[in-house]
Amino acid sequence: MATTLEQQKPAEPMLKQDICIMIGGQGGDGTLTVVNLLGSCFRNIGLNVYDARNVLSRIRGGHADGVIRASTEQVLSTGDQVDVLVAFDEEAVQAAVNELAPDASIIFDSSKGQLSEKFGGMGLRVVNAPLGNMAASKLRRNIFKNTIAFAILGRLLGLEDDLLIEVLRSRYERRGKEALDANMQALSLGSDLAKQNNIRSIYKIPHSEKSNKILATGNEAVAYGFLVGGGRFFVGYPITPATDIMEWLAPRISKLGGVVKQAEDELAVINMGIGAAYAGARVMVATSGPGQSLMTEGVGHAGEAELPIVVVECQRVGPSTGEPTKNEQSDLNHVVYGSHGEFPRLVIAPGSAAECFQLTVDALNLAETYQLPVFLLLDQALCQNSESILPFNLKSIKVERGKLLSQSDLEKIQTYKRYQFSEDGISPRSVPSLEGGQSQVTGNEHNEYGLTSVDTTNRLRMMSKRMKKVELAKNELPRGNNFGRKDAKIGIIGFGSTLGPILESMEQLKSKNIGVRFQQIRTIFPLLVEDLIEFSDPLDKIFVVENNYQGQLAKMIRSALGRNERIESITKFDGTSFKPREITNAISTSIQGKLEMGV
Amino acid sequence: MAQTTVKIYTPTTPIWCPGCGDFGVLASLKKALSDLQIKSKDTVIVGGIGCSGSIHNNLECYGIHSLHGRLLPTAVGVKLANPQLTVIAAGGDGDGYAIGAGHFLHTLKKNPSIIYIVMQNGTYGLTKGQPSPTAQVGYEGNVDLPFDAILTALSIPSTTFIARGFSANQAQLTDLMKKAISHSNSNEGMGFLEVLSPCVTYNDTYKEWREQVYDLSTEKDYNPHNRLLAFTRVSEITNQGKIPTGLVYSGRVKSLEENTLSKEKGPLALQDISLESNLPKYEQILNDFR
Repeated sequence: MATTLEQQKPAEPMLKQDICIMIGGQGGDGTLTVVNLLGSCFRNIGLNVYDARNVLSRIRGGHADGVIRASTEQVLSTGDQVDVLVAFDEEAVQAAVNELAPDASIIFDSSKGQLSEKFGGMGLRVVNAPLGNMAASKLRRNIFKNTIAFAILGRLLGLEDDLLIEVLRSRYERRGKEALDANMQALSLGSDLAKQNNIRSIYKIPHSEKSNKILATGNEAVAYGFLVGGGRFFVGYPITPATDIMEWLAPRISKLGGVVKQAEDELAVINMGIGAAYAGARVMVATSGPGQSLMTEGVGHAGEAELPIVVVECQRVGPSTGEPTKNEQSDLNHVVYGSHGEFPRLVIAPGSAAECFQLTVDALNLAETYQLPVFLLLDQALCQNSESILPFNLKSIKVERGKLLSQSDLEKIQTYKRYQFSEDGISPRSVPSLEGGQSQVTGNEHNEYGLTSVDTTNRLRMMSKRMKKVELAKNELPRGNNFGRKDAKIGIIGFGSTLGPILESMEQLKSKNIGVRFQQIRTIFPLLVEDLIEFSDPLDKIFVVENNYQGQLAKMIRSALGRNERIESITKFDGTSFKPREITNAISTSIQGKLEMGV
Repeated sequence: MAQTTVKIYTPTTPIWCPGCGDFGVLASLKKALSDLQIKSKDTVIVGGIGCSGSIHNNLECYGIHSLHGRLLPTAVGVKLANPQLTVIAAGGDGDGYAIGAGHFLHTLKKNPSIIYIVMQNGTYGLTKGQPSPTAQVGYEGNVDLPFDAILTALSIPSTTFIARGFSANQAQLTDLMKKAISHSNSNEGMGFLEVLSPCVTYNDTYKEWREQVYDLSTEKDYNPHNRLLAFTRVSEITNQGKIPTGLVYSGRVKSLEENTLSKEKGPLALQDISLESNLPKYEQILNDFR
C-alpha cells in the first residue's frame, strides 16, 4: 500500500501564504476536476486563486495537467514553481520536473509500480498510493482516482474533512445521487488511505472568512460583458480557445431574448453578424487565428460599410492549425494590418478577467459610436485561466449607441443619407423598419446615399470620413495601465496575459535592487503614442515582453517611438506563458551585460 | 413610396445590358411587393456580387450589398435580428452555387424565412463571360455538367419552398415571386426561387430556354407537396432535355426563427438593452460566477 518518506517530512507543518499545486495525468483522468475542487476549497477559506490548464487537442489521452495557485494576495500567474504534484503516471512527473520546487511533494499513483528511483534523489517528498487500483477495485471505475487523490491532497495541505465534503457535495449534488454517493465514497477511501499510512499535514494554509470574490476566466468575463453591454446576437463556429464564449452564452442569452447561433463556417459567422448588426442588433463574434483568417474579408466589409461589430480574437499557437490549446500572442499583425484595402478599426487588449468584462462593454460602445469593427484581442492563457476577482461592477456600465436613429429622430430630418458627410465623420444610422430611413449599405465605394460611386472627389472624401473616425476615437480608447516607480530608468511594455508574470517579475527585480516601470498597453491599434512617449521618455531601456517570435508589438512600438536603440524584445513562443523568473532573468542578464560593457 | 416627408435616395437605373433577363426579375419583384402591399420600410434586399447583385439599388427600400457569395448568411443575420422584416436575398448563380455553395446548402438546411432569388444565366457576365456553375457543357470550354440547384434543394429534407421561373414569362414569375414572399412572410421558412435569366451579351440562351421550359402546373397529376414524387418527376423532365418551371415543391418544416427566437421579447434588434431595464436578470446571471 501507500508509503510515506517519513524521514523527509518536517515535524511542523510549513505555513504557505502562496502555494501552487499541479495535477497531471492523461486526458480524461479528471485532472481539471481536482483543480476545480481545490479552487472551491481555497476560495471557501478566503484565498485568491489562479488556475491554468495544459491539455492536448484531443478528447482523451495524452498528457494533460492543471495548475492551481492559491495566495493571500491577488495573483495573475501560476508563478515560478510547483509545491505539490499529483501525478497519475510517470509522464506527469517527467513533464513537471523542471517546475517542481526543490522541496516539492508528489502524490504518485503507484497502481503500475512505485515512482522511479531517478526522481528519489531530488529532495522531493513522495507519497506512493495505488489510486487507480483502489478506485477500480472498490468503486469499479478508474475515474474515481481523482477524488481519492483529492482526499489525500486535502490531508497533505491540512484542509479539514468538512471543507472537502462541502466542496464535493456542492459540485456533485446537481449531477444526481449516484455521482454524489460514488464521489463521497471515493473521498472517504482517500482519507482512510491517508490515515492508515500516517500521511500528515506538511503544509499549513492560512484561513480567513470567505470573501465575496467570484471566479472567472477571460472568456467567461467577455461573454458576461457582452450580455451586460447589451449584446443580443452572438454567432460563432467552434474553435479552441474561443468556443467557451459561445457555450457560456448559449443557455443565458435566451433569458434576455437574445440568440446564439452556430454557423457553418467563419465566413458565415462574420457575414451573419454583419446582417444582424445592420438590422440594429448588438453583435459579437469570437474566433481564433484560423477563423480570423476566414473572417478577414468580412471585417474589411464592416469597415467599408460602417457597421458596428465586435470580433473577439482568442489567440493560440499558429500559423495553420498550430497548437490549438496552447498560448501565443502572434496575431497582432493579423488583426492590426489584416485585410485588403484600408478601413478604420480598433484593437483592444484586456489583461485580466476584470478587464475582459469592462473592455467588452467598451468595445460594444465604441463599435456602435464609431460604426466600425472593433477587435478584442485575447490570448489562450487569458481566455481559459481562472482568476478570483471582485464581482463585476454593474453600476459602472453604460450602453452608448452613438448616432443610432429612432423613428422620432427621423421625423426631424429632411433628407436621409446613410453616409452623410459630417464634422466628425460619423453619419446618422437608420435601421430597417424605420420609415424615412430607407437607404443602401454597401461594401462598394459609395456616395452619401450608399449608391455605388467611383467619382474621384467622392472617393477622397469618403475615405477620409471613414479613416478619421480612428483619430476621433482615440480620446475614448482604453489607456495603458502604469505600474512601478516613476523614477525608474528601466521600463517594461506588455499586453494581455503577460500582465500577471510581469507584475510578479517586478517584485523579483525589486529584490535585486532593479527598479522598473511597466506599461500594460490596452489599445494595440491605434497605439496611444502620447501615452507611450510620456511613459518611455525618461527610460534608458525598454523591454517589450510578448509571446511570439518576431516581437510584433516591439516592432509597432519602434515605429511609434524614437531612440529605438533603447528597445529590446523579450519573446517566448514555446506554447507556454512566461514564468515571472524568465522575465526577471532576461532583464537582469541584459542589464548585467550592459554594466559589464561599461554602459 | 415612403410615407413620411423625409427625402431618401432615388433608385438607380439598372446597370444591365438591354435585353438582360434581370430586367424581368426586377419587374416581377416590384409587382409582387406592390401587389402584396409590403411596406418599403419593412423590406430589405440583400444583394450579392455580379450584375444581378446590384438589383437592391433599383428599388426604394432598405438594401444591403453583401460580399461575393455571402448574401445568404447576411440575410439570415438580418432575419434573426428582426423577423418582422421581409428579407429578400438576390444574386447570381456564381455567387450562390460556386463561391457561396456552402452557405446555399446550409441555409436550405436552416430554413430561415427569407426569400432567395437566384438569377441564373450560366455565365459570369460582369467579368466578361467565364462559365458559371450552371453553364452548359461546351460553353467557353466548360466540361462539367451543370449544377442542378432544384434537385439539390429537393434532396435537403428541411426545404419548404422550391420554385423555378423564367424571366421571359412575367405572369408565371410574378406569381411564383408572390408565393415565395407569402411563404416566407408567414414565417414558414425559405422561399427559394431560381430564375432563368439570360445574359444577352455572353450567353444568350433565350432561344434554347424558350424551347426547353416545361411548366409543371400544366401537368394535372404533378403534386408539389410530395418530395419524392417531385424529385422523380423533375429528374425525368430534366433528363428529357427540358427545364421544369413553376412551383416544384412546398412543404412544412419548422423555420429557423420558430426554432431559435424568443416568442415573448420581440425582435432582438429593437429591444431595450439599457442597463436599468435588464439589471435584475444581469444580477441573477452574475451568481453563476460564485
